[in-house]
Amino acid sequence: MNERDRKGHSAEHGPDAIVLKDVSFGYDPENPILHGLSLRIPQGQWVSLVGESGSGKSTLVKLLNALLPKSAGEITVCGEKLSEESILSIRRTIGMVFQNPDNQFVGETVEEDILFGLEGLCLSREEMDRRLRLYAGKLGISGLLAKHPGELSGGQKQRVAIVSILAMEPGVVIFDEASSMLDEESRNGLLDILRDMHAEGYTILMITHDADEILASQRVLALCGGGLAGDMTPAELFRSPGLMEECRLHAPYAWELSRKLEALGLAIGVPASEKELVETLWPFNCSK
Amino acid sequence: MCRGKAVVPAGLAKRGPAMNDRLLLGRSIETGSWVHKLDPRSKLIGMLLYVAAILLSRSWPAMALLAVFSVVVAVSTRIPLQYYLKAAKPLRYLMLFIFIVQLLTVKEGAALLTIGSFSLHEAGLRLGAFAVIRTFLLVAFTALLTFTTTPARLNQGLEGILSPLRFIGFSPGRFTLMVSLALRFIPTILDEVQIVLKAQASRGADLSELPFKEKGRMLVTLLVPVIAGAFRRAQDLVYSMEARGFRMDAPRSRYHRLRWGWADTFFIAMFIMLGIAAAIL
Repeated sequence: MNERDRKGHSAEHGPDAIVLKDVSFGYDPENPILHGLSLRIPQGQWVSLVGESGSGKSTLVKLLNALLPKSAGEITVCGEKLSEESILSIRRTIGMVFQNPDNQFVGETVEEDILFGLEGLCLSREEMDRRLRLYAGKLGISGLLAKHPGELSGGQKQRVAIVSILAMEPGVVIFDEASSMLDEESRNGLLDILRDMHAEGYTILMITHDADEILASQRVLALCGGGLAGDMTPAELFRSPGLMEECRLHAPYAWELSRKLEALGLAIGVPASEKELVETLWPFNCSK
Repeated sequence: MCRGKAVVPAGLAKRGPAMNDRLLLGRSIETGSWVHKLDPRSKLIGMLLYVAAILLSRSWPAMALLAVFSVVVAVSTRIPLQYYLKAAKPLRYLMLFIFIVQLLTVKEGAALLTIGSFSLHEAGLRLGAFAVIRTFLLVAFTALLTFTTTPARLNQGLEGILSPLRFIGFSPGRFTLMVSLALRFIPTILDEVQIVLKAQASRGADLSELPFKEKGRMLVTLLVPVIAGAFRRAQDLVYSMEARGFRMDAPRSRYHRLRWGWADTFFIAMFIMLGIAAAIL
């Protein structure tokens, strides 16, 4: 099956991958964590979900595949309305990578952990083998398949968690602060994986506090007080000091530098990464 | 942590850390022997038959037969024998205790030593030795099951053996998932204990330096954060399983399938013969 033909995949922003209509949730009905939330995420879009701790980001993504039951409203994933009957199908359409990879492992070895999801899809052995080799190879963990998860580094564990999700070939992948426990090198590696996934047409919804990850995405949803406080591009977010403060965020270095250069009369746009910043500035150095 | 990890035995590769040596039981050791390749169901049945053979052995020739059989099968797994001996080592004091109790309480047969009203008898010595040999063989030899089978395969075999119980409403899948998750959480909980101990030590409450009574009190206070942490991790694991579409008793395909071959039948037959011989001798 062609990756772009999969359910929920399209490099162009076409039909909606996720639609929320007046969704509310609260453990205590008197104090809802989310109230009347409505939004649409088109297929193939890379969205950052930001907000201060306790703003309901993790709750929102758990509602999307019914890990928590919504109190009110309507959730549609890739054209399928979330209900008791559609839970399994929707969970196969949405993949979730959690914050702490240590708590995600079910299998005794990396291979067993990846196979856990595939066996649930009732795939043939040949298909499981194909997906195992394909996605482990793509994310560079082919040499780790026989290892116990406890033997892996933080970055390797997170790669395994991502492979175990990608092998199920979901249309939408949610990252719940997946880089927060990683070192800088592993975080950069994860960002490269996200860029590749976006290029392949995955819809990505990523909870993050990392400015570089926000900058690399296409759209930012800011949650505050149980509602949507902002729906904008990363550049618009970084130009909103009030919202940045509210979400406890700092602008990335590349962004800050480009703003200062712009003030000095050197407009270079908004580089998506420090590497892109260097590439943008390099011609100016050569022309001197 | 070492549980469930396939390792290469000493001599073939560098040895693992000291912690691994202390937790030998439940660790598979890959050598590619014929026993490793057997269906886990045949190994489970074989071990049950071995237990029966041990219980049927009531004489020195039967004990000798059991010992020879155990050594031959253990050698054929190509796992160094000291690994089997190490598996039984944690029970050495229990075996000594059983031997002493038998020796002191059984007053049958010829008296071997008499000091006043105190006497040691031949039957006490014999039954004590039998009990020690039985316990030793039972623990050392049944370690073969976990040495030659990964926990996942063992669970699959257990599920296969228990599958006839589906007719009475028992869910083998639920049972084996429960067992595998319980085993998976042993290192997790040990990690959690270490984290809490270190957190308390960093605030000046070092467990190793406390008197025994204080140590006991401190361990009780450990329970709350450790249990809370274990529940939190369990919740995360459930989210991870459910997010991957897992539902109890829903149909699943298998990547590693169970295959019963002639070697499995031969393996079972060996243990049946052993049981019959042990009972006759």
